Amino acid sequence: MNNSKQTIKKKVKKHIPKDWLLELRIVYRIMMETFNDIKRTGIVNLVIITTMAAILTIFGALFRTTLSISAFAHELGNVLEISVYLKPSANPESVTKRIKKIEHVQKVRIITKDSSWKDLKREIDIPDMENPLPDTLHVKVDEPKNINEVFGKIKKLSVVADMSYAQELAKKIQFLNQVVKTTTVFVVIIVAILTITIINNTIQLVIQSRKDEIEIMRLMGVSNWYIKIPLIMQGALYGFLGAVVALVPLNMVQNMLTNVHKFFLIPAPMFASNIVIITMFFVGILFGAGGSFLSIKKHLQV
Amino acid sequence: MIQLRSVTKKYKNTYALKNVNLDILSGEFVFVVGSSGAGKSTLMKLLYKEETPSSGTVMIGGINIANLPSDKVPNLRRCMGIVFQDYKLLQNQSVYDNIAYVIRTLGISSKEINARVLGALKVVGLSDKMQAKPTELSGGEQQRVSIARAIVNGPPLLIADEPTGNLDPKNSMEVMQILDQINQRGITVIVSTHDNAMVDYFRKRVITLDKGEIVRDIQAGTYEQ
Repeated sequence: MNNSKQTIKKKVKKHIPKDWLLELRIVYRIMMETFNDIKRTGIVNLVIITTMAAILTIFGALFRTTLSISAFAHELGNVLEISVYLKPSANPESVTKRIKKIEHVQKVRIITKDSSWKDLKREIDIPDMENPLPDTLHVKVDEPKNINEVFGKIKKLSVVADMSYAQELAKKIQFLNQVVKTTTVFVVIIVAILTITIINNTIQLVIQSRKDEIEIMRLMGVSNWYIKIPLIMQGALYGFLGAVVALVPLNMVQNMLTNVHKFFLIPAPMFASNIVIITMFFVGILFGAGGSFLSIKKHLQV
Repeated sequence: MIQLRSVTKKYKNTYALKNVNLDILSGEFVFVVGSSGAGKSTLMKLLYKEETPSSGTVMIGGINIANLPSDKVPNLRRCMGIVFQDYKLLQNQSVYDNIAYVIRTLGISSKEINARVLGALKVVGLSDKMQAKPTELSGGEQQRVSIARAIVNGPPLLIADEPTGNLDPKNSMEVMQILDQINQRGITVIVSTHDNAMVDYFRKRVITLDKGEIVRDIQAGTYEQ
């Protein structure tokens, strides 16, 4: 079997002049085939690219919004702390060391009773009296979802007089994070289905309209990949061009969200715009090519 | 060059070819004749792997193409020229582009392609029609373009399935003469036909099929004898 393969290869290669530009020429001609296919698709191209742009805009906008919501949730999570009020007999430093050993505890800050008293006196007019305030520890937890667990563990310490934290806020932040994650997954799935379906149907139309031509190419010995690659590239190109068009509305969404961040004094996530744009192009090209590939597998018998 | 051993092709309960044994030597010109449904086209399709035999071996150049994997079929077809009754030309492309199409996919330089296409056009006598579209040509001219496309890659074998089926006697004669000239250059030519006048005129090897079986195989034969 291997012998026969080698013989065929040798026979075919005998007809091909050997030069180093050969592969480049094949790449160039495949690209030209792709552009010719697009040219032949005519006005339908506009419909496909516009639809792709609309889908990718929705995807980009939602993805960018989820990044912003994540940033807001993270920022709220940062201000979320457990206040631990110590008994008068407790040594704040030693309690701090013990609390730091608890899992998920990120930071512990000591607020001495003297500094608390000074702050209070500065804010409200209080007559001279003995300081009734306890030493306080502000415990920061790595993630809002772990706050309940850490709260329970600290509460068990005998030196703790009382504790408090914004329980409702922690729950809301946790819920928000969950919504953001679920929405992202959901949006990616919807975009994948829509993109693949549109490209799949378009390439199916292209294959149908070129049925005779493809049949002739096949009978004349044109390689299967030479027939398939331009169609896959056509799908990928629709994704790319759709993403290019989607940049315009997406830019408006990005500007709007940047203003929201500025208004709430919460910094926008690092490189959010670039991440969204790169992801949008990646999704457009990948699902465009994927849709085309599925169509070829189903409708092109070569 | 070509060896068929115990080749049978069966479609459900019908035999298109039954236990066919055949040898065709390099450089031969062979007519495959027979009435409609005799198995001529099936035999041709087996040679360019459009069909796979139900049993038996089809050896071309020492390779059993019956077992050839589908991704290697284009390689096989580029080693031969194929001419069809309905020409199978790309209607939206010029004569030149039709002929150049397959060799372009191989990455050959434009200069080399030009030389090969002009050479092929010269053989079929259509050098002045290279920019015409197939729709602007007569049936005979379209078939000549199809022959030029078949020989442009310099194949050692040319298979023509009813090449004169759609042509009048004058054009049929021109096409057959071109195929004869190609054969005189050392290319093996296999022509399936039911055109008895052509077979009788050229006096080549004639293989007659009837109900999927070879019933006659004679050198310098005629259609009937």
